[in-house]
Amino acid sequence: MSPTPHTSATTHAKQFRSDRKPIWCPGCGDYGVVQALARALAAIGRPPHEIAFVSGIGCSSRIPGYTTAYGFNSVHGRALPIALGIKMANPELLVLVAGGDGDGFSIGGGHLAHTARRNPDLTYLVMDNQIYGLTKGQLSPTSPQGLRTATSSYGSLERPINPLLMMLAFGTGFVAQGTPADMAGLAQLIEAGIRYPGFAFINVESPCVTFGEPDRQLKDHKARMQPLEAAGHDPSDRLRAMARAQEYGGTLWTGVLFRDPEPPPTYDAAVRERQETLAADALPRDRILDLFELGSGG
Amino acid sequence: MRQNRVIGMAGAGGDGIVAAGEALIHAAARQGYYAVMTKSFGSQIRGGESSCRVRLSTSPVHCSGGVLDIAVALSWDDFLKFGAELPVGGATVVVYDTASGVLPEVVPLVGVRPAEVISAPITDLAMEAAGSERAKNTVVLGMLARWLGLEAGTLLQGIRHRLERKGLEVVAAAERAFGSGLAYAAEHPLALAQTLTSPQPGAPPKILADGNTMCAAAALFAGCRFFGGYPITPSSEIMQVLSREIWKYGGALLQAEDEIAGVAAAVGASFAGSKAMTATSGPGMSLKTEILGLASIAELPLVIVNVQRGGPSTGMPTKSEQSDLFQAVFSAHGDVVRPVLAPTGVGDTFATTVEAFNLAERYQTPVIILSDQEIAQRKESLDRFEVADLRVEERQLPSAADLERYARFRLTDSGVSALSHPGLEGGTYLASGIEHLEDGSPTASGEAHLRMNEKRFRKLRPLQRRRDLFRVEGDADAPLALLSWGSTAGICREALELARADGLRAKLLIPILLFPVAEAIYREFFASVKAGLVVEQSHQGQLYRILRMYLDLPAGVRMLARSGANPFLPAEVAGRLHECAADLRQRTAPALQPQE
Repeated sequence: MSPTPHTSATTHAKQFRSDRKPIWCPGCGDYGVVQALARALAAIGRPPHEIAFVSGIGCSSRIPGYTTAYGFNSVHGRALPIALGIKMANPELLVLVAGGDGDGFSIGGGHLAHTARRNPDLTYLVMDNQIYGLTKGQLSPTSPQGLRTATSSYGSLERPINPLLMMLAFGTGFVAQGTPADMAGLAQLIEAGIRYPGFAFINVESPCVTFGEPDRQLKDHKARMQPLEAAGHDPSDRLRAMARAQEYGGTLWTGVLFRDPEPPPTYDAAVRERQETLAADALPRDRILDLFELGSGG
Repeated sequence: MRQNRVIGMAGAGGDGIVAAGEALIHAAARQGYYAVMTKSFGSQIRGGESSCRVRLSTSPVHCSGGVLDIAVALSWDDFLKFGAELPVGGATVVVYDTASGVLPEVVPLVGVRPAEVISAPITDLAMEAAGSERAKNTVVLGMLARWLGLEAGTLLQGIRHRLERKGLEVVAAAERAFGSGLAYAAEHPLALAQTLTSPQPGAPPKILADGNTMCAAAALFAGCRFFGGYPITPSSEIMQVLSREIWKYGGALLQAEDEIAGVAAAVGASFAGSKAMTATSGPGMSLKTEILGLASIAELPLVIVNVQRGGPSTGMPTKSEQSDLFQAVFSAHGDVVRPVLAPTGVGDTFATTVEAFNLAERYQTPVIILSDQEIAQRKESLDRFEVADLRVEERQLPSAADLERYARFRLTDSGVSALSHPGLEGGTYLASGIEHLEDGSPTASGEAHLRMNEKRFRKLRPLQRRRDLFRVEGDADAPLALLSWGSTAGICREALELARADGLRAKLLIPILLFPVAEAIYREFFASVKAGLVVEQSHQGQLYRILRMYLDLPAGVRMLARSGANPFLPAEVAGRLHECAADLRQRTAPALQPQE
């Protein structure tokens, strides 16, 4: 295999990669995700110090440390509310969120619907490998039914969550799916997600090379993936997107499933607007106790 | 003439008992009295029983007082449900509604003979004057105005203001009801007069505030610009006030989907460079615990208010207790230390909250404010105080030199290292809940963990010398001592006055800083002490037990601890201190009495 030619974009992408050595296993899909992300950030062109990158816990949640952005590798399942707090405190920042399927759909699952309905301008990447890798091979919320894992010795009794369908149903304005098997496509999706003015969800099928199913590795992705664009998918129609999303776990669709053609105002914009509307009503600091002045009421 | 009166009232949910109490304290504040009002309800959302206590005084008050001077029972069933929250004694004047059908000789009070029992036709007067039972509370206000010697005009003005929007007819009916109460009281003067002395002329103007609103105001003053939280009794008013105010200051508020998301968003805002806060009560505090540990290891400033209520679990959501100290001090796994502060009343909630923000920013740590339902939800009329002199601190941002080779978690002598935030060029770093090296890189090195733990403990060491976070009252070299915190400290301040008025040489220590334990300050206080009490409203006596982990208390110092809801009475604590004094005399008496 010949080395990838050095284009200006890839050189630029290096700016977003830190020199920390990933803990990921050789062959892990997440290497491709961080590479695609760096390319997307290079295309966006914001400097690293204007980017806040939040994650939870899991193999994939190590990703902020492998970039040069401000990173926050927090606790299991709470990346979304932490990111929301960051975005509300400083709407000027580009705020990214990442984690795995366990972090996002299981322990942190309660935050998905609420983040989607608030619609902050965040981009959320889930590296979905259908397994708990960091803890060495237990059942995940997207593991197929019947899967034998360290904690489902006789096969899983549960149906998996369908993240695409769920996020579409929650009203997410941008829903896409990619795989590091198609690095260029994934970089484009991440870029499109960041450019979408509102909450963007990107499910990345990123296989676990150590505990994942042998027939679901990158090589298999390459063979199976079906670009939505080639199938003539119309990403402006939520119901059609939901129909395609039903095939999660079967057909590996890649591309933008849904992009709201008329993005509603973002939460952070509404926060900013309220602050501006009310700014004139602030009491001078030293007169804060005027809040307790006795009116004529009783 | 009286300098201090405590009025307790109880009735059914629709009787307007709390509205009457509000009217009373508002008028008293406008007249220049100091006052405290607490309200208490059954657990129903609407209806059920409700009560309030209003204490009026010509000098500053530190608690809601002891036995009632005037007890008003619109219904005996409802009154009795409050038990020791509305204590009746031998000097109490009891007024109740004749409509209850109970004869004055057989009022259902067990083991106590009140000074005076008045069966007043409250319902009849309300019906005659206003044509509605709903005016019963206004009739009572008229009676109280007369018996206490309050300005009828001031009370009336408040009543008018409150009812204005209901129309002229309603206002006129209320005025008649108030007048009939006044007239009734004029015709039935009390045998045991309850008339209050007028406030000092030229007394400073009063403000009327509750602890939760005071906490919110102080947060704004301190520069808090983000609040994330979830509604929970009895802390919700903090979020409610901020939801109205924080935007005006360029801040933002998130009512999160759960307690965890609320504190997580606050940690995010702090990471982004804002002063941030959350407020909750016991069950919410339990849920927030993991994020508390995250803020400690990521060294992010954060203020967490826990307005304590009876626990464990749902416990008693509307009743006060001081049983979350162990949780505040010991929760979150791992070796961790965080400052815990407790205000003692509505007024000092302001400075305590500002201090919490200062400590959080200076030491880059979560700080817990342990308030309690009593001070958080009671209203006080107090002197307006000066806030301009209070210092407000900002976090240490990296200097140009720091940024040359920025290491977020640099091991400094003080333990504090410059804190960058997103947006700042050259200051990018990785914040994490995982143990890290100086530059933020994750590590599993035992050596690194040891050094980082030392750093996180070292930076809080100066707190050991913060004498200003302790209040000492009484005789400096006294052999007898009280030690108390939170709302119970206010009760002990009055108990100390009573005990000293009885001739005991005693003193009181009130820690505002509960943790880390400032050992030297306690040792110095206890140097002269032979006997005393650590007084707190919990079953276990949690401060007493924590102090014993760090100190050898004098042998005669014991705990006086009781579960929540029923507060201690100042006279009760003073009585227990007398017992300590008696024990001490016995212990120190020579074996053989000298011959006369």
